[in-house]
Amino acid sequence: MEIPYYDKERPDTGLYNGKAGIWLFLASEVMLFGALFSAYVLLRVGAEPGTWSMGLMNQWVGAFNTLILIASSATIVMAWVCLKLNDWKGFRKWKWATVVFAFIFLIVKWSYEWPAKFTHYDVTFVSNESAAKVYTDVLGPKFDEKQSDVWQKRFDPLKKDKEQPSATQVKLKDKPLDGHIVGYIDSEGVKHKVGAAWGIPFWSHAFAWRHDRKNIEKEKDKSIRYDEDGRPVYKEGHFRDTFRDKDIKAIILVPAHGTWDTKEKHANSGTVKYAEAKHDGGHAHSDEHGHTVTIAREDISRLSSYEPAHSTFFATYYTLTGLHALHVLGGILVMLYHLLPVSRRVYEKNPVQFTNRIEITGLFWHFVDLVWIFLFPILYLM
Amino acid sequence: MSDEHSPEYYKKKFIPLIYLVGGILIGGTIITFAADKMGIAEKWGFVNALIFALSVAVVKASAVIYIFMHLKWDIKLKTISITLGCTVIFLIGMMALTVGSEIDYFKPGHEENTWNHVSQPEQEPVPTEK
Repeated sequence: MEIPYYDKERPDTGLYNGKAGIWLFLASEVMLFGALFSAYVLLRVGAEPGTWSMGLMNQWVGAFNTLILIASSATIVMAWVCLKLNDWKGFRKWKWATVVFAFIFLIVKWSYEWPAKFTHYDVTFVSNESAAKVYTDVLGPKFDEKQSDVWQKRFDPLKKDKEQPSATQVKLKDKPLDGHIVGYIDSEGVKHKVGAAWGIPFWSHAFAWRHDRKNIEKEKDKSIRYDEDGRPVYKEGHFRDTFRDKDIKAIILVPAHGTWDTKEKHANSGTVKYAEAKHDGGHAHSDEHGHTVTIAREDISRLSSYEPAHSTFFATYYTLTGLHALHVLGGILVMLYHLLPVSRRVYEKNPVQFTNRIEITGLFWHFVDLVWIFLFPILYLM
Repeated sequence: MSDEHSPEYYKKKFIPLIYLVGGILIGGTIITFAADKMGIAEKWGFVNALIFALSVAVVKASAVIYIFMHLKWDIKLKTISITLGCTVIFLIGMMALTVGSEIDYFKPGHEENTWNHVSQPEQEPVPTEK
């Protein structure tokens, strides 16, 4: 049976069926992403000052990925134009370029951007005294002004320099110290290093650890059983807790670059300004990771990497960028299929049909580009 | 595209259009990024900065839809124009409903500052009449 109108236009629609189908599909995609966008805008506009983590995105990486996706959008049109000009070699050249750009986008997203967030932690404290103790270690006894300044830049930058900055209204214990965990001390006082995978910096840090004192206190059944290896056996109603899993009594944290002094380099380089705390009477330590601070478990209220459960912002960020990345992956698979030998046979048998397929793929790919055009400003810049 | 064009058209007209749209997209990205780095949100206010960034995004998106997605040539086809029109109306309506509900957030009894982690000043207990 022959499929009707796959290479000829239907008289009533003026389109071949595949094109009518892709436009209807894209309309449904607009509804899907539109719902997520409006949810994001609703949450963003309604967020109380100090609850939206504005200063945590790497804008340079976001801009780089935007340019990559723009380039791929142009190359896929060029591939289609080559088919219109009966230039098979040119088609393959531009199609491969599109696939390479798409891979670069995903590699940046999934092997750099996301892992870097899953190894970046916010630590909040059980009391103002605990927080003051840690911040003194990091910034020295005169930590207050610098600490408030950092908080203001991260969570409520637009209110900066107003008469009453919102940083002064938030309790010290709720102002997070952020950084990377490079080690921990167990209950027997033994120091452990974490990670160190393949010498890649962000994989040398703890990945997606989690601790929330409030959750632990909420547990009705406190009787955690441990298996032969000393790992806790959780039951329903228990929360995952890395401190419990690893028997951690203190963490060793490198306060993060870009937060505690934006003008200086990564904490690992040992050049960050909080190192001056030592001269001001603080107790920041120096080792191969640069300057570290040891924080006792009993001082920590919540430890959370920038994973989806960290905050509403990150939940929406991962949902939007994750769904978009899945579309990119789907596009790559289709484009790779078009580069297989079987596609050459389809082209030779019916060039119009194959060219139409490439046009449809191109329409989908431009939609993926369109979504990113809006995601970039609202997630990375606003 | 609904219209079939000659190879000359693709070489002399369409390929320059691809470069033009590419330029618009790159330029728009640089403008938005530079504006953010210059701190327009602090100078203009958050809402104005958001409108500016989204306006640039709309220009970029329009260029992609108009040229890359061939709407310049296909818009005359009712299947596409009606589908696109309905989608845009639905999207705007949906955004208006959700975002509009938030604009109306200030209601009687709704405190302006509802942070649960903000230290509230202790209030004097109200004496009760006996």
